[in-house]
Amino acid sequence: MVFCSRLQQDEIVRRIRNVFKQLKKTISMSFKEFTKELNGNRVEGELVKTIFYSLLTSVIFLAVVYFFKLRYIENCVPKYGYYLLFSGLSIALIMPVVRQVRAYKEMACMSGMMVGMTIGMISGFLLGFFTASTNGMFIGGFFGVFVGIAIGVWNGKCCGVMGAMEGIMAGFMGGLMGAMTSFMLLNDNNLKLAGIISFAISAVIMFGLNFMIYKEMKETDRQRKEDHMMTVVLTFVLIAITTWLIVFGPRSAIFG
Amino acid sequence: MSNKITLIGIFALVALVVSFMYFGSGSTESAPITGNVVAGEMQKVVLSQTDLNYKDSIVQAGKPIAISADSSVAGCLRAPSFNFGGKKYTKYLQSTNDVLELPALEKGTYTFSCTMGMGRGKLIVE
Repeated sequence: MVFCSRLQQDEIVRRIRNVFKQLKKTISMSFKEFTKELNGNRVEGELVKTIFYSLLTSVIFLAVVYFFKLRYIENCVPKYGYYLLFSGLSIALIMPVVRQVRAYKEMACMSGMMVGMTIGMISGFLLGFFTASTNGMFIGGFFGVFVGIAIGVWNGKCCGVMGAMEGIMAGFMGGLMGAMTSFMLLNDNNLKLAGIISFAISAVIMFGLNFMIYKEMKETDRQRKEDHMMTVVLTFVLIAITTWLIVFGPRSAIFG
Repeated sequence: MSNKITLIGIFALVALVVSFMYFGSGSTESAPITGNVVAGEMQKVVLSQTDLNYKDSIVQAGKPIAISADSSVAGCLRAPSFNFGGKKYTKYLQSTNDVLELPALEKGTYTFSCTMGMGRGKLIVE
């Protein structure tokens, strides 16, 4: 206060306000462009379809498995149905980012680190959470860790070693954190509600990541064009392993 | 295929699965315990701790069980958690007078743990 006059203070405040106004304007404009692009010809125009194909793959897989195997298991749907459904939804949430990252192939370090961290964390957290709800901390935690690390590294390496390392760290942390959260809520009788809340927050984060990638890469052309085979295959592998673990996998002593 | 149609498809898929889970699966939660309950013949089991696990306990089949914990049991092990075919029985046994009641069980060995899953034990039903 001693070093600047009243006039200087007003000027500083005015400039800070201007910066925030400019920032708000830029973000809102980019967001409008992004929502418009969801119907466009770039890879962002395929994101909703990717969710649909992934979910369709999971539903068809679960229907087939139910018809041939699960319906003979007593109380299978009441016991595991909710967790299988949300595992399918979680995988469908991850797939659009995988597609978007693959389409651009290479990113700047900062963006790549964000990609590796977010996707590793969320994929590990969600699959760890739902698997630990039925199998316990060890199986849920380390399944989440392996999935988180694998997807985190795979996508994070779009910027090199930094993104890959972020993927490893975030997958490791997210998987254990998801499993721990669900395991500690087991006796709270609010596990399913917690699953819905965690899923909703993760959906917002993943949507944010889609937006961030678009904002960073909108000046760049798509580097790789591919059909939805990768989405279908990856979803199939993930839902198959998750289903096997949830229904037939080893369980902690707390589950009897 | 426009995004609106795709979104409708996504919601339809989720609605299909949810409606199947609630109306179409045809099975409901059933009582998992098949042993015969003998009224008035509650058998008492006092849990105790060895290292970081519970000592194994032996009970008779067909009689309901009252579980309590002695002073050797500490920390989260004072809240044992039993799961019989998906139905959970758990209670925090704060003092030695607190009792967790279990239904009659069939012969077999039932594993249980504390609510945190840290300490484990076996309930052997003969």
